[in-house]
Amino acid sequence: MKATVVPGITSVTKVAKVTQRLVGRKDSVLARKTVRESLVSVAGLIGRPVRDLEGRDIGHLVDIVVRHSADTYPPVSGLIVKVEKRKSFINGARISSLTQDEIRLSSTKINLEDFKRREGESLLDADVLDHQIVDVDGLRVVRSSDLYLAPLDKEIRVVGVDISFRSLVRRLFPGALSRRPTPEHVIDWATVASLADGTGVVRTSSSRSKLSQLRPADLADLIEDLEGREQEAFIEMLEPELAADALEEMEDDELQGLLRGLPAERSAALLEKMEPDESAEILRDLADDHRESIFKSMDAKVARELRKLVSFDEKLAGGIMTTHLLITVETDTVAHALKLLVENRERDISDGVVVVDGRGRLLDHIQVVELVAAKPTALLSTLIGAPFPTAVTPDTKLEDVVEEFGNNRGSSIIVIDEKSKPVGRILADDLVDALAEESGYRGASQGNGVLS
Amino acid sequence: MVFSHERKVRVREVEFSEQVSGKDSNKIRIGAFLAVMGPGIIAGLSDDDPAGITTYSQLGAQFAYRMLWTLVISTFALILFQDLGARIGVVTRQGLIGLVRQKYGARAGLLAVVSLVLANLGTMTAEFAGIATAGQLFGFSKYITVPISAVLVSFLVLRSSFARVEKVFFVLSAVFFAYVIAGFMSHPHWGTALHGMVTPSMPLTHDAVYIATATLGTTLAPWGLAFIQSYAVDKRLTRDDLKLLRVDVWTGSLLTGVIGFFVIVTCAATLNAHGTTNITDAAQAAAALKPLAGTLAKDLFAVGLIGAALLAASILPLSTAYSITDLMGRPSGVDDKLEEAPLFYATFGILTVIAAVLILIPGAPLITILIVTQILNAVLLLPLLLYMYGISKDKRLMGEFAATRNMRGIYLAIIAIVGVCVAAMLWFTFF
Repeated sequence: MKATVVPGITSVTKVAKVTQRLVGRKDSVLARKTVRESLVSVAGLIGRPVRDLEGRDIGHLVDIVVRHSADTYPPVSGLIVKVEKRKSFINGARISSLTQDEIRLSSTKINLEDFKRREGESLLDADVLDHQIVDVDGLRVVRSSDLYLAPLDKEIRVVGVDISFRSLVRRLFPGALSRRPTPEHVIDWATVASLADGTGVVRTSSSRSKLSQLRPADLADLIEDLEGREQEAFIEMLEPELAADALEEMEDDELQGLLRGLPAERSAALLEKMEPDESAEILRDLADDHRESIFKSMDAKVARELRKLVSFDEKLAGGIMTTHLLITVETDTVAHALKLLVENRERDISDGVVVVDGRGRLLDHIQVVELVAAKPTALLSTLIGAPFPTAVTPDTKLEDVVEEFGNNRGSSIIVIDEKSKPVGRILADDLVDALAEESGYRGASQGNGVLS
Repeated sequence: MVFSHERKVRVREVEFSEQVSGKDSNKIRIGAFLAVMGPGIIAGLSDDDPAGITTYSQLGAQFAYRMLWTLVISTFALILFQDLGARIGVVTRQGLIGLVRQKYGARAGLLAVVSLVLANLGTMTAEFAGIATAGQLFGFSKYITVPISAVLVSFLVLRSSFARVEKVFFVLSAVFFAYVIAGFMSHPHWGTALHGMVTPSMPLTHDAVYIATATLGTTLAPWGLAFIQSYAVDKRLTRDDLKLLRVDVWTGSLLTGVIGFFVIVTCAATLNAHGTTNITDAAQAAAALKPLAGTLAKDLFAVGLIGAALLAASILPLSTAYSITDLMGRPSGVDDKLEEAPLFYATFGILTVIAAVLILIPGAPLITILIVTQILNAVLLLPLLLYMYGISKDKRLMGEFAATRNMRGIYLAIIAIVGVCVAAMLWFTFF
């Protein structure tokens, strides 16, 4: 399933990207002097005293609550403070100063409320620190060793994530040594996808838009590197189409494992968005009852189509074909066919349309080029002619399909049923995948360790 | 994707997960199940490694049947904590070390990983000690056998050809089943053995406390706990799979106990009964197999040692490297290339080299190393067991699988026993 063509190239670019980032990004807020000089380490701040306006101890800091919104850098919305053995919430608006050693509040009278988790908020110590996060620029999954706060746009905000081993070790030291920020290897918060509770609901964060620029294959690698809840949160964070594209690039066994962990509705939604042949391939390998529960959560029409595909043997043409076809009737116009193609431009089948007669029997496959060259008002029947597409039935053996491909040098083969109705297409890449799997070749990116 | 040999024995894995996911029915077909060894059995059989066999032999030789109860308790503890590890892995879908760092912070995470790495380094050293011992029985110098094994294991694990060889190791280590037959042939006092199993009594001596601690440490090995959890995570086993995974874990753990029992009984009926009450070299330990194998006893024993040592030595550095990378970010495995996972390969290499070098020190006391490393295991178990206990009762992490009050009590009791053993051991060492 993997599409990495040149072994090693991805990892080389990864290394290059990381180096580039460590050298420092000019547009990062971390490059600003005011920010760099006022960084406060979250790991060091936890446990420090919270004092009132006159310097009297109120309690000790337990956690910091941040609000995720359209802002790139989430602002501190409150503190969780341990006051006489009870954990209380103090609104962030009451903070008058926040330094590495203490937090001062702006009044002497404090309202102590019980803390309740609210949508769109997360706790920096409990949810983010030491948890897995996705470094979108470096294309890797890391654990955060520390988080840094700094004043920015009139609020105290999370500006960076420290991922260094050094900072992790620093936290072992007692006293003030553990609190001194060591921001050598800090990633700008803008390039991080945090998977903490509450962050998933934000649809506009910049990390999300960064994620959407990644290649599906890179996203697939990141998904595979995540564990447990973080993995689900990450998929939740992606646009459904993108998530489906990424899933198509995942290793089969990884994807199966992932689907086994997801609720059936969610699996169904993702599988519906994937190319039918890819979905069928995955569904075929699932346990019967699991597959059934996914089918039940699907759109009935899609489920019916997929059921049929799943029932085909994967050693036969029907087992590797995609059922996505752009079917037109010979009496349609060229303009209609082109419109259909434009509507489906996202799919990998949009290189042409299949033309059938009034009874649905296959007549021809017309390439985009031919359509573009023709008059928009012309009927498709006028374009029918040699070269005619190669057609096979669903029960054709894989080796015969290969032979047909070899004979015709086309980019695809049409699969028809016993009444000559087109039911699917086999693209060259589907065939490559199928053959690769059969021969045991599992793609370069799978790796067999360092020596292979 | 962590453990190379697991990926490479894909066929076995698929069969296993098909069964655990109940493809055909929910009925567990025992025959088919036994044909495919799961992680619990891997962990169980690897517990009967050279260190395990030596420790059990020493226990039988020194104290005959009297301290069999320590094995009973150890096996009981092994079942419960392996079961807990499997459950934590399935429910949280996180590795042990990463989870400890998340829940308890940086210090705890590092303490856990340091404990695990030290314990695993010790056990890895013990595996090489086992190889050196077995080599000597065949008349080969350790300066030849140990480096060759270190290179062989690294090569096999990092190359993909491990799957086939792993089966060979399994068969070789299964030689220790010979103790079951040898046990019957040596005509032990079954009544006394039964009495020793259920009556906790021991002389309060240095030797007794040491061997009791080593028995706990070798049976309930730290690496096994981390291994079973990361296995469940890595294979993405779900709650539906838990039932069969638990069967597998219980089977593997019981198997450890059963083999341990017969080793002790055999050694009691042969070595102890004939006056060998302290094993100082491998030939003495091997003599326990004489009722079964006669003059071939030494060869049988050596073959078992080599198989079990190679099997464990190929899983240990992988499991350790997985845990270290889990602490730092994402867990990696042999599927990652060197430049993607330098930490993984560094851990793997360093662990293997240090363990081999320690054994190559001229005059290194092999039998002592085999047992002392297991005492170290017991000490390092304590923080790990406490963290696992803490995770087991965390409702936010474990949900409906959180440990009940009664279970928590039992876990604490086991931890207390390990604690008492370790305290007594330290007392006898320093006072």
